[in-house]
Amino acid sequence: MLEIKNLHASVGGKEILRGINMSVNPGEVHAIMGPNGAGKSTLSNVLAGREGYEVTQGEVIYKGENLLELEPEERAQRGVFLAFQYPVEIPGVSNIYLLKAALNAVRKYQGLEEVDAIDFLNLVRDRMKLVKMDEQFLHRNVNEGFSGGEKKRNEILQMAVLEPALAILDETDSGLDIDALRVVAEGVNALRAEDRSIVMITHYQRLLDHIVPDFVHVLSEGRIVKSGDKELAKELEKSGYSWVHDAPEGQTA
Amino acid sequence: MKQLTEITTPFGEVAAAKPLPGTELGWLQQLRDQAKAQFERHGLPAKKVEDWKYTSLWQLSQEGFSHDANEVSLGKTELAHVAALEDAYRFVIIDGRLNAVLSEIDNLEAGLSIKPLAEALDQAENMLGDQIDLEKPGLNAINTMLMHDGLALHVEAGQKISKPIELLVISTAENPKLASHLRNLIQVDADAEVTLLEHYVSLAETAGFTDVVTEVKLAENARLNHFKLQHESLAHYHIATLASKQAAGSIWNTNNISLGGKLARNDIHSQLLGEEAHVTLDGLYLVTGDQHVDNHTRIDHAAPNTTSDEVYKGVLDGNSHAVFNGKVNVHKDAQKTDSSQSNKNLLLSRSCEIDTKPELEIYADDVKCAHGSTVGQIDEQHLFFLRARGLDETAARSLLTYAFAVDVLQRIKSAPMRQALSNVIEKRLPKGA
Ligand SMILES: Nc1ncnc2c1ncn2[C@@H]1O[C@H](COP(=O)(O)OP(=O)(O)O)[C@@H](O)[C@H]1O
Ligand SMILES: [Mg+2]
Repeated sequence: MLEIKNLHASVGGKEILRGINMSVNPGEVHAIMGPNGAGKSTLSNVLAGREGYEVTQGEVIYKGENLLELEPEERAQRGVFLAFQYPVEIPGVSNIYLLKAALNAVRKYQGLEEVDAIDFLNLVRDRMKLVKMDEQFLHRNVNEGFSGGEKKRNEILQMAVLEPALAILDETDSGLDIDALRVVAEGVNALRAEDRSIVMITHYQRLLDHIVPDFVHVLSEGRIVKSGDKELAKELEKSGYSWVHDAPEGQTA
Repeated sequence: MKQLTEITTPFGEVAAAKPLPGTELGWLQQLRDQAKAQFERHGLPAKKVEDWKYTSLWQLSQEGFSHDANEVSLGKTELAHVAALEDAYRFVIIDGRLNAVLSEIDNLEAGLSIKPLAEALDQAENMLGDQIDLEKPGLNAINTMLMHDGLALHVEAGQKISKPIELLVISTAENPKLASHLRNLIQVDADAEVTLLEHYVSLAETAGFTDVVTEVKLAENARLNHFKLQHESLAHYHIATLASKQAAGSIWNTNNISLGGKLARNDIHSQLLGEEAHVTLDGLYLVTGDQHVDNHTRIDHAAPNTTSDEVYKGVLDGNSHAVFNGKVNVHKDAQKTDSSQSNKNLLLSRSCEIDTKPELEIYADDVKCAHGSTVGQIDEQHLFFLRARGLDETAARSLLTYAFAVDVLQRIKSAPMRQALSNVIEKRLPKGA
């Protein structure tokens, strides 16, 4: 599904990612953990194609294609989805309009017709239940006046409607209280599928109590310094991130 | 400024050449003489006049517009295509002349009177000219000298008119380079309510000139929902004054949409003369190419407890130039005035230009006045978000442009009106998907 090889990237001349290697197979859930400033959001932005990030070395192969050569929309149309750490508010664009436009963009790439109005409404209603969102949110502008938790749920709603092959969730748990966390986690769990890979970026272990990953990676100073299974996350919780700076490069558990 | 005589001539000669309505009315003759004297003194406003600093009428004065038009008519189906509203009383002016066949003037509902200007003049002595200032730099004097057609709308006390009125002012290819001088008189009596759409449209990309003054008088608790849609050709000049006097408790909701014209200028003036009178001045201008649009608005809070709410938005592309000037004047006795004004502009190109200026003059001490103007570009974060959801860049940009403008439409309460105006605007600003 996704193969990241020796990825180096810099922002404003400063190298942030310093040789990331990672391989994600269909159906797997990977967690990337790491302290603030480690480069987690940088990695997700590079994968989604945000401007301003310069890839200086390495490559990213997604479903056999060179992902880094594609425009952001081409990546999205091919099934790459980024749930943003800080979802933006978009005045004047209603949630339902966004969902429909996004879904139709994917369908167009897949050679399908625009979604039928009634099918679409049924789909959206169904997916809203998954994240326990009230229908009134459909007619509100994207994220405008939403609470932190509502914004995060809205990201998961978009994921649920678009059914991506690869979802990258950037700190979808941050800023959520325990109930909201549970709702979001249940939503994500319901979207786990054999042909869908999920990369969860988080600072805390608590999300991983709800969405149990197949693999855990520790990112520090732009490198993956340790990889393991879910037990690694528990270790991290006990000992914090202070040790990661001392860990030998590329060590695996 | 150019020689006064040069500029005066093309308009001055007309007054003699063309038979104008109401010549038998002494008061009107006097008013026209007064206007002529004013125009001879001041001519067209020069750029050194503060209110005309950014808008030059030099080119207009050189175009050599004619005042003689061949009569043109349209078929009913053709008209239906041009009209913005399906269900409305239509009053149709084609190439400067009332088209009585296409207009609904007789057999209207109770309390509603729609007349051509010429037929309303004999009862218009207290109305005509009362809302405007002849001395004000602009075209009020020319319009008063030369007005030949227009809509006279009157709603009697207590009547709520069931359908909107669409004033259709159509320019065709049959009479290129035609100047029209229109005067509309809108009178809504106490507790009455009506909706009016002034709709200015060209059927071809020919040059023309529309000079229009619309005067509005609202009695106590009267309500006028007043829309204006201007999408004349890109070679057209459109210069308009829209002025009201509002008695206590009256409401004037305006929405002024400028899409067309080589040069479009609106001077909008609300005079809140009675307590609890309210005005909404909303507007949207979409300009591109070499278009120039200038909206000057002025609100006089002349009585206590009056309120005003103003939202003007502009989208500029190409080499276009937009001007917004919003004056709010709170008079000494107008305590508890509540006024808010905003002007927001979205620039889509590097070579467009906006001059925006709010002007507050407050002579009362217990008032609430908020104002602000912004000039910005498409937000890169918004753009990336939409692209990350699969919308291509062009679609994402046009969706964000539409989204910027749409709240002016969302503020329109009547659903059919909102729909009609959205349809026109979406042709210019495709939603993107
Ligand atoms: N646009 C930017 N300009 C300059 N530095 C940046 C920019 N974005 C991120 N950085 C820097 O890159 C580093 C990694 O940031 P980020 O990827 O957001 O970390 P994380 O998500 O792991 O907290 C930080 O030191 C941050 O200050
Ligand atoms: Mg981050």
